[in-house]
Amino acid sequence: MFHWLERNPFFFAVGVFLVVAYAGVVTILPDFMESARPVTGTKPYTVLELAGRQIYIKDSCNACHSQLVRPFKSETDRYGKYSLSGEYAYDRPFLWGSRRAGPDLMRVGNYRTTDWHEYHMLDPKSVVPGSIMPAYKHMFQNVADIDTAYAEAYTVKTVFSVPYDQPDMPTLGTYDEAKKQVMAEASAIVADMKSPEIKEAFQRGEIKEIVALIAYLNRLK
Amino acid sequence: MQANNALNYDYSVAKCFTYATILFGIIGMLIGVVIAYQLAFPELNYLAGEYGTYSRLRPLHTSGVIFGFLLSGIFATWYYVGQRVLKVSMAESPFLMILGRVHFWLYMILMIIAVVTLFLGIGTSKEYAELEWPLDIAVVVVWVIWGLSIFGLIGIRREKTLYISMWYYIATFLGVAMLYLFNNMEVPTYFVSGYGKWYHSVSMYAGTNDAMVQWWYGHNAVAFVFTVPIIAMIYYFLPKESGQPVFSYKLSLLSFWGLMFVYLWAGGHHLLYSTVPDWVQTMGSIFSIILILPSWGSAINMLLTMKGQWGQLKSNPLVKFMVLASTFYMLSTLEGPIQAIKSVNALAHFTDWIPGHVHDGTLGWVGFMTMAALFHMAPRMYKRELYSKKLMESQFWIQTTGIVMYFSSMWIAGITQGMMWRATDQYGNLAYSFIDTVTVLIPYYALRATGGLLYLIGFFMFTYNMYKTMTASKAIASEPQNASPMAA
Amino acid sequence: MDMETIRELQAYGYIFFTIFLAVILYSYLYHLYRSEKSGERNFEKYADMALRDDVTDAPIEPMSPLNKAKD
Repeated sequence: MFHWLERNPFFFAVGVFLVVAYAGVVTILPDFMESARPVTGTKPYTVLELAGRQIYIKDSCNACHSQLVRPFKSETDRYGKYSLSGEYAYDRPFLWGSRRAGPDLMRVGNYRTTDWHEYHMLDPKSVVPGSIMPAYKHMFQNVADIDTAYAEAYTVKTVFSVPYDQPDMPTLGTYDEAKKQVMAEASAIVADMKSPEIKEAFQRGEIKEIVALIAYLNRLK
Repeated sequence: MQANNALNYDYSVAKCFTYATILFGIIGMLIGVVIAYQLAFPELNYLAGEYGTYSRLRPLHTSGVIFGFLLSGIFATWYYVGQRVLKVSMAESPFLMILGRVHFWLYMILMIIAVVTLFLGIGTSKEYAELEWPLDIAVVVVWVIWGLSIFGLIGIRREKTLYISMWYYIATFLGVAMLYLFNNMEVPTYFVSGYGKWYHSVSMYAGTNDAMVQWWYGHNAVAFVFTVPIIAMIYYFLPKESGQPVFSYKLSLLSFWGLMFVYLWAGGHHLLYSTVPDWVQTMGSIFSIILILPSWGSAINMLLTMKGQWGQLKSNPLVKFMVLASTFYMLSTLEGPIQAIKSVNALAHFTDWIPGHVHDGTLGWVGFMTMAALFHMAPRMYKRELYSKKLMESQFWIQTTGIVMYFSSMWIAGITQGMMWRATDQYGNLAYSFIDTVTVLIPYYALRATGGLLYLIGFFMFTYNMYKTMTASKAIASEPQNASPMAA
Repeated sequence: MDMETIRELQAYGYIFFTIFLAVILYSYLYHLYRSEKSGERNFEKYADMALRDDVTDAPIEPMSPLNKAKD
């Protein structure tokens, strides 16, 4: 049998594939039934938060910041309650990260505020002396992509039945309704910000990337 | 057919991929050095505006070296080794020649678009799988073409039995195909909703499931790109260069199946103490430790191949590169399982020890082996002797120093960081704020970046040596049997 | 199917396959050594495939069935 396998590339390839694939079938597939169930109180992201999340991804914040509090006292003391699987039920993709060049952000919304983020993104050293994080000034120039965020919310609602427009859940509605709601949420954040440029831009109906990002960061609790 | 003396191996595709290896090696490693220095000197983040921050560049570095440098290296050696161990020339099949060229050009176009999109920040954030869906499809096409080329060549082979290197190349092809497909399952949002950017997509998996699929992929991308094909290379190039048959061919077969079975289960060690099920975590830990056996099986086999021939280390720098590569393979396959032990992982996870570990493997094992393979191929492809042995020797020592600086500083940095995160004062309060644990690392970051710089300098020496070999070196009359000819 | 049953199946799937593969691996080892001892095949000669790899070199084991007798 073995002799035969070594000389038949096709069956050899099938053999390798089976051996290699089996691990995935056993370890990964069955948990798809369970892990995606949200814990009570976890809500899908609003469109503005999703836009912020896309900016988080665009600038690879996850290259330095994790979003996973491990169950150790040193971590819960520093970052808050340890993470539960159901808290990530609406995270597509997951953003656990693999390294902490900066602190964990799983619950950053509990202890940082809009204006802290504003100063920090403009000049990290001004609020955290010795910080090695780069400033993200371009987030104050670029306009957030609300359309794509709406597209994402709409997609997860239709394809994965994420519970938008349910009782006690964020509303999505049509594109125009969503847009109106985004403006309302953004105006609350802009009101807390200091930068006159951001306020001016908002008057013109532009939502800068930083506004969406802060909406997302404030939501991380 | 065998009497046909005019028949020669055709290296034109192998040459193309050799150039690509060098090009992406320079790009990927250069970005690596830049981002390493950015950690020590944050002002360097502002060299290119939005496009030059650490966070934007990091995916470029990882993808650049994995899918640019290394994949090109794998393809280059495949188009070289494949013909030789199957004893069939690509020139015998016009179809395979065309396929090889199409493979190269599609791959190049894909890589260039990939570099541009990553600079623009277009990506999915999943590590080593950042590309958006249109590029994912292109990756699949390129991969299928490579598969056709592998099995096409096997189909017209003269040598009935497949040499062990072939086994590993086939496994690379299959493993990456499966992993990449499943990890990149995503839904394009524009086509569902009609709004937004057409290239944006959302992952098929959510939260913990996404993490499991990602690290099943992430870990095994390491297996099937950093390990399996490099073993394929060393099983061919070390015996050929040294003139010694593999110490035990049987052991190589056995380690192959061992590696195939064990590797895939070990991905869970990236998710220890996370929210994935406990048994997945524990199994990830256990299998990571079992993984030492097949890994060391191959590495020891390589070292024993040199039994009684250690003198070659002195006379032939290529053998030196390869022996050091297998030694680093042993080191990093021991270090990895140690980090996968749960209690060690509690300390090491999220720290700089992890990139330290990765770079033992990539700089020492992967980088050295790939460069040695290209050095070995050059005299045979270009019919000239290698340009300078001296340059090779100094490259070896500069890069080795670089690697040692890199991993020693990252070990210290990682453990320091891990210890400081958990340190408490006498009342049980945390002793350090997070920023304390950052500023203390800056000297180590500087040291690490300098180690990386030395490695990059070595890579430039390699490039120069290769360039001179291709263009200016003394021609050789006939193909060398074993040790590659080189000028002093 | 509830999660308990799935977990159980998972565990069985894992145990059986591990045992199965361990058996395969050891019988492979046995096969390697037995067929070499009985002179049926010499595995170590395959190592020469890397060393004698010119396109004009005679294959270690040629594809054509006519040449099989030399084996």
